[in-house]
Amino acid sequence: MDEISDNTFIEVHGSDVSNDDPSLLTIVLEVSPEGWFNIKDQTSIMDVVKSLLVFLNGHLSLNNSNQVAFVLSSPAGSKFLYPDTSKTYEEIPLNVTSEETVENSNKSEELSFVTKGMYRQFRVVDETVLSGLSQTMSDITHAQDDKVTGSSRLSGALSLALSYTNRMMKLDQSISTTTASAISSAANISNKESSTAGASSGTNANSYGTSRMKSRILVVTPNDNEDIKYISLMKAIFGAQKMKVAIDIAKLGRKDSSYLQQAADATNGVYLHIEKPLGLIQVLCTAYFIEPSIRPLMILPTNSNVNYKASCFITGKSVEIGYVCSVCLCIMSEIPDRMSCPTCNSHFDEKLIAKLKRKPVVKKRKLDNGSSESSTPAPEA
Amino acid sequence: MESDDEYKGSSPSSRGSFSDSDGEGVRRGIKTANPASRNANDKKGANGAYAWEDEYQRTWDIVKDDDSGQTLESLIQNMIESRKKKIMKNPTAPYQRGIIRTLVVVIDGSSIMLEKDLRPNRFSMMLSLLQEFVVEFFDQNPISQLGIVLMRNGISDVVSDVNGSPQFHLDKIRQLRGKQHNRFEPKGDPSLQNALELSRSLLRYNFGNNINDTKNSKEILIIFGALFTSDPGDIHKTISSLVKDNIKVKVIGLSAKVAICQEIVNKTNHTSNNFNNPNYGVIMNESHFKELLMDCVVPLPITVEQQKEIEASKSVPLLKMGFPTKVQPTLSSSSGGHSLDFIQICACHSGSRTENGSDAAAIQQSSSVIGYRCPQCSSKVCSLPTVCPICGLMLILSTHLARSYHHLVPLVDYEEVPVKGSYPSSFCYGCLLQFPEGIENIHKDSKEKLETMSSSRYRCKKCKNDFCIDCDVFVHETLHNCPGCENQ
Repeated sequence: MDEISDNTFIEVHGSDVSNDDPSLLTIVLEVSPEGWFNIKDQTSIMDVVKSLLVFLNGHLSLNNSNQVAFVLSSPAGSKFLYPDTSKTYEEIPLNVTSEETVENSNKSEELSFVTKGMYRQFRVVDETVLSGLSQTMSDITHAQDDKVTGSSRLSGALSLALSYTNRMMKLDQSISTTTASAISSAANISNKESSTAGASSGTNANSYGTSRMKSRILVVTPNDNEDIKYISLMKAIFGAQKMKVAIDIAKLGRKDSSYLQQAADATNGVYLHIEKPLGLIQVLCTAYFIEPSIRPLMILPTNSNVNYKASCFITGKSVEIGYVCSVCLCIMSEIPDRMSCPTCNSHFDEKLIAKLKRKPVVKKRKLDNGSSESSTPAPEA
Repeated sequence: MESDDEYKGSSPSSRGSFSDSDGEGVRRGIKTANPASRNANDKKGANGAYAWEDEYQRTWDIVKDDDSGQTLESLIQNMIESRKKKIMKNPTAPYQRGIIRTLVVVIDGSSIMLEKDLRPNRFSMMLSLLQEFVVEFFDQNPISQLGIVLMRNGISDVVSDVNGSPQFHLDKIRQLRGKQHNRFEPKGDPSLQNALELSRSLLRYNFGNNINDTKNSKEILIIFGALFTSDPGDIHKTISSLVKDNIKVKVIGLSAKVAICQEIVNKTNHTSNNFNNPNYGVIMNESHFKELLMDCVVPLPITVEQQKEIEASKSVPLLKMGFPTKVQPTLSSSSGGHSLDFIQICACHSGSRTENGSDAAAIQQSSSVIGYRCPQCSSKVCSLPTVCPICGLMLILSTHLARSYHHLVPLVDYEEVPVKGSYPSSFCYGCLLQFPEGIENIHKDSKEKLETMSSSRYRCKKCKNDFCIDCDVFVHETLHNCPGCENQ
């Protein structure tokens, strides 16, 4: 039992009190043809989406005011499948229209497990996601080749998910101020004023702390490709970190993705590399179902070694020891031949490069550093 | 100060201020219908009864438009617009900044800081703002370091050493304000010279030293409540040595401008004009205080001189950095390699830090849980960023570097879509918020009214997607990613 009572978990204990606040769950599903082709022996998109829909329904059933969103990230771009702006959900519950839409859109077996008798909220979500998905699928199959085999658009999908999350958090805040009692609402207003003033001068973490809506993002991706928009992905991660939105990662496929590991690690999310996706729904319900507010109290599946490798700007490969341009912080795995930074074109100090290139000098530099370090603080008492 | 005293002393004034702050946002442009009834000191209500017998009034319902015809909505709209304009001030052209900064914050702990013009008093107000500042500072300058110095009773004390960990500073600040009888209670006179000398010696030692000195920007931020300084020697000598060390000083005054501060600021920042120096601000109110403080978070642009220096040598330094792997030794039983009860000791905390016993112990404990392994020599360190104590390689998380990217590659501003009869978009691209419909027959409206109307759409110049104002602010202040451009 020693593993379970490890002090890693005790350290984060008691930071939040769990309560019945509503929470928003955004699922980002990446549909890169290559990634799904690679795992076609194990699972299919349809199976995974079925599991995800069960997962979404489970989330909706936990609390009446829970919210869900579904973002599809395809090489052609990302878009929301749910909520879908082209539909008004008030019209769906009539049985006749829903049957019609089911029959009209496509009679494929995709929608067969969405039955008439389902709980309305579940059905609205399921139908919208499935019809949107089949629409995108047919778009992809008819699209040009160059559009299909692009690099991952995950950063865009995350940005969409985050801006939607931002709105839901703000929305919830405004509701709570109108329903709250007079005094607390007055306090809230003054709080709001100060927080807006704060937000105007740079980003303010506090303005998110007051909102009651909890939210998290679950990314499901089979993509083994390390070709990712590094900078924008990083920016998205920081945005999530600031908003205290956990990014959970369910990585299918063969390899670990070090960038997604970093995403989960930085936002206190769960990262799991699911090598056998057959029992996906079980994994989803055990590892990812826990709300962020009670995560400190639970023992989460942790991955012991997070690789904080950076991405080389020239080659796109990940680097452990690299060179960093001091102007633009561009990361390079090797010193470029041109002696200049590939992104900002500033020339590097030749003496320094010569120093870095000389192999045995490492030892000498260490000596130099030692002496300079000891000598600097000494004078000027 | 005893809590009882504080309560008695401040209770009448705080009640008065409550009624002030209550309507503050509204009174700027709008007269309230019945200001007398809202005065807490006037116990008679509007209908002649005592205030507590009065019917409950919702003050926001009795707000009346003032003569200029501004409604509450339009005021709020203006506030939003002004926020928006603040973002517009952000430069969109990338330029070099001193990314690796070392900042010493000098705070005033003299007796004048007990003044109650800021609530509850200047000192605790400053400390609570400082806490926010520390968090924000490390958020935006992840590879920078910070130290805090207190001017009190004619001398200056180090509150927290120059260090890269926000939690460390927050703990120290909490100690300052925490206890009733703490030894840091504001007292005596401030001494600028002592504080500057101490800060200067703190700044001489920082972690970037052995890599490259020019890359570091050394800064001092003084929060100065008093109007005088009592110094042991010639402060002008201190100023010239600050100039020599290339240390930049910023001052935030809490009461009025002081000539000596102006001189310090002008000389250390190499600016000649006496007034309107952006580095010396005097606060007008609480939110202005916060604004001034938060302005110091953004990395400084490289000065003209440094620019010349760089251009003269036609070269910039290249830094060698290592990106270590995070290890959780006690948990890695599944991946093999370490047994569960194998204690790991980090390489960075030896006996050198044991002067402060409890701190060192705490760090040691946490280091046995999570550490980072240097990719070059495989020694373990417990916190980042740092310089590897064994091989001298600068260790950093890639996330630390990436956090500064938005300063280097700023996002393009969105521009407001002009008011038209109809628009191609009906939903915000980012958050799916429904936009208001286009307004037909706008020609009938006067020109003035046209200005107050807005299409509520803000379009990215690159991807031509429309966003709402909330998404615009969010994208530019928090996310720094245009969702539309990312999906192209």
